[in-house]
Parts: sequence; C-alpha cells; structure tokens
Amino acid sequence: MSSLTGTGIAKHFGGIKALDGVDIVITEGEILGLVGPNGSGKSTLINVLSGYYRADAGRTVFDGDDLLRLGPHEIAAAGLARTFQIPRPFRTMTARENVALSYMFGQRRHSLAQARQAADQWLEFTDLANVGELPIDQLTLHQLKFLELARALATEPKLLLLDEVLAGLNPTEVEESIGMIQRIHAQGVTLVIVEHLVRVVTALSTSLIVLNQGRVIAHGDPEVVMQEPEVVRAYLGSRWEHA
Amino acid sequence: MTSRTKSLIGFGVVAVVLNLVPTVVESLDAPSFYVTFMFTAFFWISQSVSWNILTGYTGYFSFGQGAWFGIGVYTTGILAAKHGWPFLLALPVAGVLAGLGGLLLGMIVFRLRKQSGEIFALTTLAVAFVLASVARLYSFIDGGRGIFMTGTPLPAFLGDFRTAMFRMTFVVAFLTLLTAFLLYESRIGWGMFAIRDDEPVAHGLGVPVFRYKMLALGTNAFFGGLMGGVWSLQIGFVTVEDVFNIRVPLFVILMSVLGGLRHWMGPAFGAVIIYALTDRLNSAGLEDLNQVIIGGLLIILVLAVREGIYLRLRARWKPALAVFVLAIGVWTVFDLGSSLIWDFFYASLLTVAVALVPLKRQPDTAASPASEAMAASDRSPP
Ligand SMILES: Nc1ncnc2c1ncn2[C@@H]1O[C@H](COP(=O)(O)OP(=O)(O)OP(=O)(O)O)[C@@H](O)[C@H]1O
Ligand SMILES: [Mg+2]
Repeated sequence: MSSLTGTGIAKHFGGIKALDGVDIVITEGEILGLVGPNGSGKSTLINVLSGYYRADAGRTVFDGDDLLRLGPHEIAAAGLARTFQIPRPFRTMTARENVALSYMFGQRRHSLAQARQAADQWLEFTDLANVGELPIDQLTLHQLKFLELARALATEPKLLLLDEVLAGLNPTEVEESIGMIQRIHAQGVTLVIVEHLVRVVTALSTSLIVLNQGRVIAHGDPEVVMQEPEVVRAYLGSRWEHA
Repeated sequence: MTSRTKSLIGFGVVAVVLNLVPTVVESLDAPSFYVTFMFTAFFWISQSVSWNILTGYTGYFSFGQGAWFGIGVYTTGILAAKHGWPFLLALPVAGVLAGLGGLLLGMIVFRLRKQSGEIFALTTLAVAFVLASVARLYSFIDGGRGIFMTGTPLPAFLGDFRTAMFRMTFVVAFLTLLTAFLLYESRIGWGMFAIRDDEPVAHGLGVPVFRYKMLALGTNAFFGGLMGGVWSLQIGFVTVEDVFNIRVPLFVILMSVLGGLRHWMGPAFGAVIIYALTDRLNSAGLEDLNQVIIGGLLIILVLAVREGIYLRLRARWKPALAVFVLAIGVWTVFDLGSSLIWDFFYASLLTVAVALVPLKRQPDTAASPASEAMAASDRSPP
C-alpha cells in the first residue's frame, strides 16, 4: 500500500539538472529519510512534490491524484504539507496568526474564529505557546524552525515533508525535536525527513533514500543503505569537498 | 458579544446618524457646503478603501484606480445622459462593468507565468491610458465631445441635488467600508494578507491565490466604478481629460499610505485628512501651494509613522480623542475658526500631530496595546 509514487521526476535550472529522473515511493505510515550531499536535489524534490516548483517531466500519484497537475493549494487540500529549509513566516502576523492561517486553509476549511482557538494546540505541541503573540522578528531561529513545523501540522496533513528542521539546533534541542517528530508520526502522519545528521536520520527513519546529483542512488533499510559502496563514496566525496 | 458584532452595530449606528446629516443641516439653515464637503469626503473614502482591498490586503500595487473610476463615470454618462436610462438603473451597471474590467485585467496579468508586482503595477497604469484613447476614439463613448450630465433626472425621494449626492455617495462609501471590514475579519481577508506577506508560501498552505487576487481586484474595481458612476453627476461635464488623469490614482495612493495600508480603516482616515487639507487650502486661496504642502506633509508623516496614522492613533486613542475634543471645544467656544469645517480641520491637524509624537520606549513584549501597530510597522508598505 503506497501513499505516494513518483516516477521520472525531472527539474532543471538552466544547465543544472537538480532532479534527473527521480523515482520515489513513499509508503503510508513510514518515516522516509531523504539524504544526500549538499546540492543533491533534496529540497528541489520537496519543492516539486509540494507544487512550489513545476516539474519538467514525471508523474506523481498521491492518493489517486497526479500531483504534478495540481496547483499548490490543491496539493495542500489533498493532504500534503512541507516545511521550508530557510523559515518563511508571514512577517506581518504573529506566530499564532501564522498557525491560525494555515489551519483556516490547509486540508479542510475552517473559519477565522475556529482557527484563532485551534492555533493553540500546535503552538503548545511545538513549545511555542509563550511566543504566540510576539511579532515574528522577535523569534529565534530555533523558534522559527518550529513555527514552520507548527504551521505545516496545522494544515492537518496526511503526508508531511520536513526539510532540515533540525539543522542549526543544539544537541538538547535536537533530542527534543526527535521526540516531537516521533509523536507526529504516532498520530498517523506519514513523514519524509531531510536531514544532514546521518545518525539522526538512521535512528528515526524506517527506510532511506539517498540522492546524489539529482538521482536516487539507493533506497531501502537505513542501516543497509548507508553501507552501500556508492553511498559511502558520495558521502566521502562531499565530506572531502566541504572539509 | 464578539468584537465583530460590536463593529457591525457600530456600522449601523453610524449609518443612521450620517443619514440624517442633510436634513439636520437644512433644518439648522446651516451652509449647504457642509453637505458638499461630506459627500466629497465619502467619494474619496470609497475610492481609497476599495483601492486598499487590492493593494493593502494582497500587496499588489495598483495605479489603476482612475480606470475603474473612469469606467463608472462613462457608464452612467452614456446610459443615463445619452440614452435616458433612469440614473439608479445605470448606477449598478457602472459598478458591474468596472468590476468586469478588473476581472478581465486579472485574467491576463494573474495568469502570466512570470508574475511580479512591477509588471502588475505597470499594467494597471497602462489600462487607464488605453481606456482614455478608446473613449476619445469612439463617439458612442465620448469621441472627444464630452457628455453633459446636468439635467439628468434623479428620483424625487433622493431629495434636492446635494442631498441626493450625499445619500448616494454615502451608501456607496458605507458598502465599501462594510466590505473592507468583513473581508478584514474573515478567512478570505486573511488569505489575502498571507498573499501580501509571501504568496508562494500562502499558496502551498492551501490559499487559492488566483481566486483571491481576482476577488480583491474585482471588488476594488467594482466599488471604484460604482462611486465613479455617482460622481459623473458632480463632474457635470464629463471629458476624457478630466476623468482619465492621474489625479484619482495619485490621491488614492497618498490617502491610503498616509492613513495606513495595514488596516481597513486606515485609507478612510487618510482620505478625510487629505481631502480636508486640500479643501481648506483651496478655500484659503492657496491652490498653488496645495501640492507642495500635501507632498511635504506626506513625506514627513510617512517617514515618521510608517504604519500609517490610523494604527498609531488607535494605539494611543485616549490622548488623541482628548486633543480632538478639546480642540473642537476651544475653537467653537472662542469662535476661532470661521466655520465648523475650519474648526474640524484644525482639530484634525492637532490630532494627527499626536500620531507624530514618538514613542518613548519600544515595548519589548507584545502584550502591550501597541502590538498590532508594531506588528504592522515591521514591514514597509508594499
Ligand atoms: N531556484 C533555483 N535556481 C537555480 N538553481 C537552483 C535553484 N534551486 C536549487 N538549485 C540548484 O539545484 C541543485 C539542487 O539544489 P537543492 O537545494 O535541491 O539541494 P539540497 O540537496 O537541498 O542541498 P542542501 O543540502 O544544501 O540543502 C543545486 O545545484 C542548486 O544550486
Ligand atoms: Mg536543501
């Protein structure tokens, strides 16, 4: 039983093939880790699946709909949500209003009055209750990352794509967030997590996809996949480059 | 009782009170230019508040107000004056045609693959130019001869000309404000604010951005055209040069920016202040200084009060109200102004000055009543 099946997804920017024929299967109920060196196309894949970018080629079936034909708001209504690697809050709204907005739209429509009430639950879940009324520019990076998460959760997604929510957090915060991600999963949300901390991804995910230069080079059990020679090579190469 | 219900009751009360103004003015034997002053203010309120539904709410800067206004003017001009339609039948057609014009523009610019605020702004500017040449070219519209509106019959129940103008402009301004308010306090309005803040993100969270931008543009154009339709009567002799010039779009922008784009009331506030200012300068025989003074004032205010004076005054409404009441009191008691309008004008200027007094300390927690103003001020106008 699969939740999302993508075949031959391609996206290029000028001469750069950010995604070069990606096949991906996301099984309902799993936590799928998505890893790969910098610039391997992880964010681009999330951007294409969520409709933020229009794919050049390919097909993505999610619960019977071809996502690549839908607009971003229709994809949200179908139950897919994502976070941005670099937080993009609505700057004239408070944290609570950001969350309320996404609850009003998201997968199902709710009125403004309902949303103002309901926003609290996601602020509490993400530990933002005490900054709910603050203007956005008074939030720390950590809080902004969690606001991304709260806003995505407030759309009540079936499938949630998390783009490096843990990057830039200190070890304690990382531990807290791992617990949070597990609780989201326990509520029945299928998750895709993009993360550079290989230790964290392997610990969290039930299966793993490795991207390199816009192609899937491995897919399967996390422990096994990370041992594959091609994966080791891709990772060592990038480590060396960025050392 | 929710704040929304309270506001709606407020709307009702204001409507009843204002509706009595012409009768009261008449029975007091007061000068009838009070009525003219007020209905011209209603005109500008409706124009700027409707402009703000597009530009303030969704962030798409428009120079197109003159086009919607112009479509409205010419629609009642052609239908009522040239073809003898009953004026009140031609009026809604003015709004609908302008609204359709807005939707047509939206169909084109909001469907472009490469969209940007700049492209949108330039396109709206072009629309008025195109309409002006079309009007000049075709004699069934204008053909360069102009249209005489004087003598257009109005239904008797509207009263004499001034009273009729008052009633019609009032109804349109009231409906514009009500629409702006209802949007502001609704899911749709919030979707528009999200578009203004970050359109792609809003889209991804489920906001149907195309539909909402169309709605904002259509609503803006509809009310601009409806009020334009009423205004053809006041213009008297309608010409292309008088209608499709830069005056309406420019003033609407000035008024809204001054009052503040972040709140539905802001542009109405700015409209009254700027209109009162130009009116007083004109009546003091200072027409030539008009633009200099208004331009200067605007620069000062916009630099000093980025969020617009409405939110600023709201955050400190007690001192503001006190100054206003006190000023009106002093001016009337000591008979300083030559008329009530002058009294009102001086009192308003003093009140606006309250907005200019800088905050002593930026409150660091948002629990302060100024939080809305602060939230609004952390972004420059679109
Ligand atoms: N909007 C864009 N315009 C041009 N090039 C882009 C754009 N977005 C991504 N790219 C390029 O596409 C490639 C893949 O980028 P992407 O952001 O998907 O990588 P990533 O795997 O998310 O990397 P990181 O780990 O650094 O976040 C990179 O070469 C990047 O420079
Ligand atoms: Mg990335």
